[in-house]
Amino acid sequence: MSHQNHPELAEAFNKDFERTTWHDETLWFVRQKRDKAVYPIPEFQDLRTLASEIKDHTLSNLDNYLIEFEQNAIKNGVKVHWAADAVEHNQIVMEIIKNSCKVEGRNPRLVKSKSMLTEECHLNDFLEKNNIDVVDTDLGERIVQFRNEPPSHIVLPAIHLKKEDVGETFYEHLGTAKGEKDPQILTEAARQHLRGKFVAADVALTGVNFAIAETGSFVVCTNEGNADLGVNLAKVHIACMGIEKIIPDLHHLSVYTRLLARSATGQPVTTYTSHFTKPVEGKEMHIVIVDNGRTQQLGREDFRSSLKCIRCGACMNTCPVYRRSGGHSYDFTVPGPIGAILSPNIDLHKHKSLPFASTLCGSCSDVCPVKIDIHVQLYKWRQIVGQANELPAAKKWAMKGMAKVLSMPKVYDLSGKLARGALRILPHGLTHNESMNPWAKARELPDAPKQSFKEWYEENRQ
Amino acid sequence: MTSREKILASIASNKPSLVTMPNVPIFEGDGSVERFKNVLESIGGTAVELTTKAECQEAIDKYYHDLVNVASDIVKANVSINLDTNKDILEQVDLAVIQGEIGVAENGTIWVPESNMLNRALPFITQHLVLVLDKHNIVANMQQAYDKLEGVGNYGVFIAGPSKTADIEQSLVIGAHGARSMMVLIY
Repeated sequence: MSHQNHPELAEAFNKDFERTTWHDETLWFVRQKRDKAVYPIPEFQDLRTLASEIKDHTLSNLDNYLIEFEQNAIKNGVKVHWAADAVEHNQIVMEIIKNSCKVEGRNPRLVKSKSMLTEECHLNDFLEKNNIDVVDTDLGERIVQFRNEPPSHIVLPAIHLKKEDVGETFYEHLGTAKGEKDPQILTEAARQHLRGKFVAADVALTGVNFAIAETGSFVVCTNEGNADLGVNLAKVHIACMGIEKIIPDLHHLSVYTRLLARSATGQPVTTYTSHFTKPVEGKEMHIVIVDNGRTQQLGREDFRSSLKCIRCGACMNTCPVYRRSGGHSYDFTVPGPIGAILSPNIDLHKHKSLPFASTLCGSCSDVCPVKIDIHVQLYKWRQIVGQANELPAAKKWAMKGMAKVLSMPKVYDLSGKLARGALRILPHGLTHNESMNPWAKARELPDAPKQSFKEWYEENRQ
Repeated sequence: MTSREKILASIASNKPSLVTMPNVPIFEGDGSVERFKNVLESIGGTAVELTTKAECQEAIDKYYHDLVNVASDIVKANVSINLDTNKDILEQVDLAVIQGEIGVAENGTIWVPESNMLNRALPFITQHLVLVLDKHNIVANMQQAYDKLEGVGNYGVFIAGPSKTADIEQSLVIGAHGARSMMVLIY
């Protein structure tokens, strides 16, 4: 099956100029909110360093922390499950649901709060095919679920949509008035609709922001309150986490709760920071611990630190390429710069264009709350894509040709001379032909100078 | 080999050699009531200072006289909520008034342990939420808050203002799924 790469999908996104500009500005606004939330904290840079070092330490002892976490969770009366991959994860979740709630004459009902891991595993499709009703309860996720779309951002799932789009979707699914686009009214409609779903649910599923080895607890952060509302009304709670969510103890948690929301949306903290340790008597709590490629990434020295990510999305909001190409152009669960260094580990061939979806400006690394060297890893993945012979032919031969020219000074001088001459003579339509010179799609070449710098220097040196 | 064994073995062979754990200090900072109030208001909450805890009733009568179903173990309640209360009754609660334990000035959040909630769902399902807080329990930042906490118990939540969302075009809407308003009575 042919698969569209990032430049193709980005080009499609850019066809709507106004929307692209709006998307760009909206995300830049979120980046600015982040700055305003970050600057008043005098120790913010120290916190970033600590957050990075705590994760370095934890990853270097990850197996032992996971065992400690498991033991404590079991003591708390929580059932712990391990899944090597997405298929096993989905199977485990389905079996918990089917075993824990035997309902007659209808499907079991599941309410979910945000979990990028379950997106990564394509859990919703799987459960629906197995006759389980799945309702995403985060407002943004509910919107994209209605529209049969994946989220386009890990924190702001519906950021690619305008309020008119949401109004149209709610008109279709929730019966709001045709043309209604007031966010207040649309949110109220979703509140009423989802309250019914919360009350009716048998099982609630959440993601995990942080898992605490020392206590066997896990922490879930939301603004809407949908995680707590779902979990506390349902009989069964399933929490799904990647192995990298572990931190040693509560003291370390305090570093991350100071960083997460400030980096993500520019709030001082999320509205709800919920600590789940023991289930209520008579109810069930399950934790599914998932690998799905993470231990492989742990073994890649150059890319290991991508596992430190706390999924704040700051790298997306600041990225000039993400802002102008949209989350869907990455065609991976986690878009943006962090997605571009996580995805090649999963499928290098499919995601080979993503490490190139960057200007290597380094802004992503500058805002990352756990100091992942994202732009360095983007550069390193490019080398691996090249070595794996996965570069597009034109880029590959251009690079090879360029390497030859640059290694032979005489040839280099001559080609420079020829190019300057050609640029003066050839018609604009040819030098800026978009299929031959994609660089010129939105750019103008400067006028070609009469001589090279080298020639000028030879003439003018004293 | 179970998946558990497979994952743990894979980590053991792929992890780097042990990196030292950094020393995480407890940072100093401004833990004043003033700062707590300012931040809380900036995130959509309301703060009211009282002289004594006994004035809570008066404050509730003043600000929430129009709300019918009140659940609380601090002020006069007319809905009785406990661990076994069913969903239909929880859904009817207009106002919950419960005790908060620790306030954090830096971000306006308040620690609410399960033991104060009457029912785990109450602080979220109620239409409006009031937390009652002793001003001596306000600290500067999260490090100080976790340091002050003995532990996180069976279940506990830091709550910062009312439920909110900006998922439609980044327009802030207060009252997503949880409480539509949140007031803190500080004594």
